[in-house]
Amino acid sequence: MKVEFKANKAEMLRSHIEVIREAFKQAVAPDRVTVEYPRERKKYPPNFRGIILFDPEKCISCFRCAQICPANAIQMTFYEKAWPGIDYTKCIFCHFCVESCPTGALKSTKIHDVAFATMEEMKLRAVQLMKPPEVFREDKVTVEYLIDDKGWKLVRKPEIDELVVEAVLPAGRRKISVCVDPESCLGCRICVELCPSDAIAVDRKANKLKIDAKKCSGCGICVRNCPMRVLELREVS
Amino acid sequence: MIAMFDLVMQILKSNQIEIPLIQPVVDSLIEIPVLNALVALILWRPFFAVVVMPGLLVLMIYLLYIIWFERKLTARIQWRVGPLEIARPLRGAIQALADGLRYFFQEAIVHKEAHRPYFIQLPILAFIPVLLPIAFIPAGNVVGIKTPYAIQLIVAFISLIPITIVAIGWASNSRFAFVGSVREALMYVAYEIPFIIAVISMIFLYGSGDPYVVIEKQWIPGAFLNPLAFLVFLIAMLMATSRLPFEIPEADQEIAFGPFVEYSGILFGLVMVLAYEKLYVMALLFTILFLGGWSGPQIALLGDLNAPIWLVIKTLVAISIIAIVRSMYARYRIDQALRMGFSWFLALSVLALVIGAFIGMVI
Amino acid sequence: MKEIPIEVPVEPPKELESLFLPIPKEYVEEVYKKDEFLILVGPQHPGSGHMRLIVRVKGDIIQEVIPDPGYVHRSMEKLAENRLYIQNIPLVERPAIMDSANLNLGYVRAIESALDLEVPERAKYLRTILAELCRIGTHLYDAAILAVFLGHTTGFMYPFGIRELICEALVRMTGVRFTSSFIIPGGIRRDVDKATLDWLYSATFAIEKRLKSFERIFIRNPTVIARLKDVGVLSKQEAIEFGVVGPFLRASGVEYDVRKVEPYEAYDNVDWEIVVADEGDSYSRFLVRVNEVAQSLRIIRQCIADLPQGRVINEQICDSPEIRGEFFDRLADLVLPLGEFTTLTEAARGSVIYTLVSDGESNVTYRLRIVTPGWLYLRGFMESLKGERLADLQAIYGSFGYFPPEADR
Repeated sequence: MKVEFKANKAEMLRSHIEVIREAFKQAVAPDRVTVEYPRERKKYPPNFRGIILFDPEKCISCFRCAQICPANAIQMTFYEKAWPGIDYTKCIFCHFCVESCPTGALKSTKIHDVAFATMEEMKLRAVQLMKPPEVFREDKVTVEYLIDDKGWKLVRKPEIDELVVEAVLPAGRRKISVCVDPESCLGCRICVELCPSDAIAVDRKANKLKIDAKKCSGCGICVRNCPMRVLELREVS
Repeated sequence: MIAMFDLVMQILKSNQIEIPLIQPVVDSLIEIPVLNALVALILWRPFFAVVVMPGLLVLMIYLLYIIWFERKLTARIQWRVGPLEIARPLRGAIQALADGLRYFFQEAIVHKEAHRPYFIQLPILAFIPVLLPIAFIPAGNVVGIKTPYAIQLIVAFISLIPITIVAIGWASNSRFAFVGSVREALMYVAYEIPFIIAVISMIFLYGSGDPYVVIEKQWIPGAFLNPLAFLVFLIAMLMATSRLPFEIPEADQEIAFGPFVEYSGILFGLVMVLAYEKLYVMALLFTILFLGGWSGPQIALLGDLNAPIWLVIKTLVAISIIAIVRSMYARYRIDQALRMGFSWFLALSVLALVIGAFIGMVI
Repeated sequence: MKEIPIEVPVEPPKELESLFLPIPKEYVEEVYKKDEFLILVGPQHPGSGHMRLIVRVKGDIIQEVIPDPGYVHRSMEKLAENRLYIQNIPLVERPAIMDSANLNLGYVRAIESALDLEVPERAKYLRTILAELCRIGTHLYDAAILAVFLGHTTGFMYPFGIRELICEALVRMTGVRFTSSFIIPGGIRRDVDKATLDWLYSATFAIEKRLKSFERIFIRNPTVIARLKDVGVLSKQEAIEFGVVGPFLRASGVEYDVRKVEPYEAYDNVDWEIVVADEGDSYSRFLVRVNEVAQSLRIIRQCIADLPQGRVINEQICDSPEIRGEFFDRLADLVLPLGEFTTLTEAARGSVIYTLVSDGESNVTYRLRIVTPGWLYLRGFMESLKGERLADLQAIYGSFGYFPPEADR
């Protein structure tokens, strides 16, 4: 497709008239698109990536979120187990951590406007992630972008958008750690030391690993740290 | 001493503006010893014309209004809301006042390379050619200096304004200010000749440079008597006050506000409103020449105030409509503006002169 | 016109020595001897972006422009060497955040070519939609910057207003307004539901409608045409010589588009045309991009209409329908085979080149080479400025849509 432009005097004059007409038209009946945030708030879809909430009940302390974080914003701290804390000075909201969480302990919210007084306060610990941050809501109106035959319109509804959404849980296939090559096991007991749920024990006589399938949460820490790579995560029905 | 005071009072009282609406208040105030001098001074016709209406006071109110209105109108055309947060119930109506106060308390920096005395003086000196024409602009009976050559004098004083702007650019002594000054000087040549010719054509048409004669002869608005001169004057007004599409000397994106680039604080506030004040003076002249001046329905209660009110209202309406051009056009280049000024724009003004002379002979 | 030199001894100002300028002292002296003038445009100038242009003018005519880029250099290539392959995705899409999907796509395609991964058809179409949305967004952004460089503030606000619809579409599809990191090796992170796609389909018409307003007030505006026409002309020969890319190359009459020459994703399944112009001036550079927006809308509509059903992620990568919950297990330990993998992708401002060098055993890149379009057409941009007026600097700048963060990486 070739773009060509040739202007003659008559066309230029018509363009002048079009410009003036458009300007006066907008001055009389403007196609305004402003959302007067914070007095009104735009409705975001439920999959919006905002501040992350943490559910300690579901957490298996697998460290996956901390290890995938491209910005190095997640730090694990020991409470009852190792729980993630998020440093919002670094977080880029890519939500790789939420995608990595095998049990759905991390979930996204629609909150995107939290103000912190200092940089130190932006480093949220796990206990602060458990409940949604305090947001001072001034909005009485929710704005939605509606598209109809006449084009794009802003529809204002007198309702308050719920910012905390129901989490969509991952498929939730239970996995446990299995020793696939017991012959090569050194018996170094790194896995025993690391296991957060005390599921691994070593049978002294046979020098073999015993993994308690009931206790194993499938966090995979042992798998990632085994020097001989003899452990593997296996799906169980 | 007392005799002196009486003499002054006598002079003031001999030429008082008459407004039936507030006459009882004036009558009671005039009895009070010290206030009477003040009231008499304010109501003295020349003083009233220059300082109150259509002079300084209205100019200040106009500045607050036009800056807000222009921003609101531009925002409306651009799908936005515009200034809103200051005085929210009034939709941000006192935004310009807030900005002015902020400028006032901001530090005014004079940089090392600037010519210090001129750099500080010139924004204030620039007010002289802007405000002098107001002394000659009559509004009915309310007039500062009455002269049959008022229109010529106003044009002469308007022509002085660019000189102060060029001087401001020179005193700033910075490269963008320098480029801006040169552009201002070039623009000056581009619009001044057609502008003066357009005014002369109207003087030919009315046969006099006396505003009273001009108003008297406008049985229909002058815009219809000589549409070409009207058009030339309008475009010259855009060029002279460096508004888009001729915002060439100030061009933010190219030379960062041109001659005024180094100013800050209240000094910047002063130079920023220069163009608006120039626009006000030119629009007053525009109203007198083309829109019938102060003629309009008379309200008996207002008395002498009728004429200034009509003049100011017509001027403000004219300026408000001109303000829309800002959101319509992009900026021309300096060589394009110059070519325009010396080719069809000049030709148009000469044509307007011919028409003016012809109609002047007929009526 | 005859020039009469004036022998006025002028001292070059001190500021030209004290700043870290990429020009020698002798150059400054030479300029000042020849009654010329040096103007430093940027980095703190309303019309420069994050870079400095050292403009040598004679009167009002630009003799030479020396660019001083690098103010927003973030050493992306080095940063990429310290991260997992998957962790580089949020990094590589950051040179130009409006154009994130295209930059993301280029990197992911390099990984896919290394691993020999086949992408499911549905994912290909959705990737195409994302890439085209970002292309429209970038073109609108550039149009807005061009408008404000010409002092046309309405022309600035309209594209940003329209871009809000693009952002809304991206939010509904990916969950964020831009930098979505949505495209991952083997597919995309989520499937997109039908309601969103229907909304997007009707939104393309709303965008077109709003663009009509923009066309009346800016594109066909006589003052804009006067400013852009016959300004900063790059002939076909020059454009090829200086290595100009993308829509700016096409504006000079070269019919080259990576999407047609080496089709990737769904581009060979949809019907669209390469937009070219002959003049090579600022206005045709602008018009080409305006028409590309129309083509992109056309591509999006076709993609939505022909969208096949099926998976959105390759089964080798993840056997469940979505990667949710298995992101770490599936993608963190990617190890690429030994070798060098290069992809060429058409980003909004031109072709972007990714070269991944892998040592074959580690899970981080050995070397990642990113060549963004901004860097490629900088030379052509500088050459096109010669002989124009100082006021045209901004017009040409805007017509190239030069974006320093993208060029500096």
